[in-house]
Amino acid sequence: MSNTPLIAVVDDDEAVRDALLSLLQVEGLRAIGYPSAGGFLIDFATKTFSCLITDVRMPRMGGLDLQCCLISMGSSIPVIFVTSAEDEATLAQATAAGAAGFFNKPLATAEFLQCLRGVLGLEDG
Amino acid sequence: MLAPACEEVSAADPCGHEIQRHDGACWAFDISEARDLIEAASSGDRPQGWSKALLARLRVVEANANAVHLFGSYAGRERMLGQSILEFWPIEGWHVLPGLIVGAVTGQPRSRARKLRVKSLVLKDPVLTAWMSDDPALAQTLFLAIFAEPVDERSFWALRASQERYNNLIHHLPFAFLEVDSRAQADIFEDLRRKGLKDVGAYLDTNPADIQRSCQIVRITDVNKSAVELFGARHVSELVGPVDPLFAASPESARRVMINHFEGSRSYSEVMKLRTLDGRLLDVSMSVIYPTRPEQLDITLIMLEDITERLRTEAQLRQLQSDYTRAARISMLGELASSIAHEVNQPLSAIRTYAETSLRWLSREEPNLQKVTQLTARISDNALHAGEIVHRIRGMTTRQVPRSASLDLNEVVDEALHFVRHEIETRSIDLSVRLGRELPPIWGDRVQLQQVVVNLLLNAVQAIHSGSESSGSIELTTDLDERGAVTLNIRDDGPGVAEGDLDRVFQSFFTTKDEGMGIGLAICQSIIAAHGGAIGASNWPGGGARFWFSLPAHR
Repeated sequence: MSNTPLIAVVDDDEAVRDALLSLLQVEGLRAIGYPSAGGFLIDFATKTFSCLITDVRMPRMGGLDLQCCLISMGSSIPVIFVTSAEDEATLAQATAAGAAGFFNKPLATAEFLQCLRGVLGLEDG
Repeated sequence: MLAPACEEVSAADPCGHEIQRHDGACWAFDISEARDLIEAASSGDRPQGWSKALLARLRVVEANANAVHLFGSYAGRERMLGQSILEFWPIEGWHVLPGLIVGAVTGQPRSRARKLRVKSLVLKDPVLTAWMSDDPALAQTLFLAIFAEPVDERSFWALRASQERYNNLIHHLPFAFLEVDSRAQADIFEDLRRKGLKDVGAYLDTNPADIQRSCQIVRITDVNKSAVELFGARHVSELVGPVDPLFAASPESARRVMINHFEGSRSYSEVMKLRTLDGRLLDVSMSVIYPTRPEQLDITLIMLEDITERLRTEAQLRQLQSDYTRAARISMLGELASSIAHEVNQPLSAIRTYAETSLRWLSREEPNLQKVTQLTARISDNALHAGEIVHRIRGMTTRQVPRSASLDLNEVVDEALHFVRHEIETRSIDLSVRLGRELPPIWGDRVQLQQVVVNLLLNAVQAIHSGSESSGSIELTTDLDERGAVTLNIRDDGPGVAEGDLDRVFQSFFTTKDEGMGIGLAICQSIIAAHGGAIGASNWPGGGARFWFSLPAHR
């Protein structure tokens, strides 16, 4: 199991986070959910994550700030943004900082999973 | 001491001459119709009802000014002439008259007066006197007089005369006045009271026919010009009579007027519906002024004011205010549009992902029904949650008449926070909420008070946003102030309000923001004022603004 990739899901909305975790579970993927960027960063020091799925707008530290923070820490963890109705500027900023994916809510499940598998280097299906 | 005589009396009128000689209230009656009854009674033939029959046959042929003042002030002398004594003599005095009259008519010498001390509610120690004149021309004329002690420095008669002047005044007032004779009702009440009745409301509930009967026996005796116009009548006489047309459109009002009469109120007022004689339905403000014993006035006065137009204007004004408040609410929600969209999108998004996940569990070779059941339950929960959000927004936007109810301010705050929480969180503003425990309820419209709280919070968010790059903090507290009012305080650490603007922040169209219309705080003030509360703004010494309002506790 140890070489099965571990995914982090950061979203302050409990239902959205729980739904994402259940989707990853049915796809046979290991994931841990965090209600805030801070909670994730604490675990980030001790765990190895293969991918970060995060919301953009969250209290205290948002997704873009979290991405910047990870980059400044020298991490190259792929970041997939899942967000509701964000503007072009946010998309541009995330992409410029090297986002691996950018999805609006409600999530287009198939495209999202395809992107995630690509990031994780897994075969499709 | 004496009221002036109404007119000069010619010496050729012996009857007029006789009654004008007396200080008291004096009448002359034609007894020709009653003579046989009087003589029969004199010889001991007194069948049942003889006394009332006797009184009914006496016709007034003359009355002096004081007699008119005493009993005829509603109708005047002309109304009294030709009438039976029963028409104006109080019922309580009926039993003393027949014996006195028989004695005077059949006694010898004829000119000797028969006197009787009677108890009266309107006169002090009155003496009733009956006599026949020696003048052969007056053989069919009985004289009856009431003499009474002056009750205060002004005599009773002078009081009556001043009342007449007062009646003249009333006739020319621009309000509708009805003079009502409720003595018959007062007697019934007196009787009930003597029998120990305390709760007249309960009594009338079990004897509703008594209300109808009262509306018949209580009579309108005179009305002024304004009342004639108000009722759409052509002449005073159309209104003189039983009082029941007054209450045709609101029988419950008659009941309340009676209860207040019984309980000895001096006056009673209410707004009621009035059906006019020409069929219009009006809203009128009715004030009843009861005769109060032991004072002399024995007339119930009813004043009516047509407030139909005023109520209509007020209703229109209320509608306008409510529309304006709603417009401000929608404008406020507009500022929160992206937050609200986010709020609704979250549960929808979760539902979509749960559903997709369920399908994936189902499409496995061995479907995991346990998982599907679990996810379906979460779908249901989230749909419910989304529905609640929509319901809250609809509550803020639908056009509805403000509805007052007993409210818990803390609940109002909780609901208001739903609208702004996301706005506050995504701007990384620290919100601390401290709700006072066991606050008394307040009385008001839930939606409007939510609007005030949302508005003040949004104001704080925008103040912080405009201030600096650093994230700010908002502190919301509810409490009970030292005067027992329920208060809400919202404090932010933004730049505060410029000192010169503190007095103006609640004015309409005052704004320091580019996008705002400046109606938010003005609406807050009008809502709080309409709830009988107070609202204010101040700056903290350490920076930042404090907005507060207080509402009276509703117990």
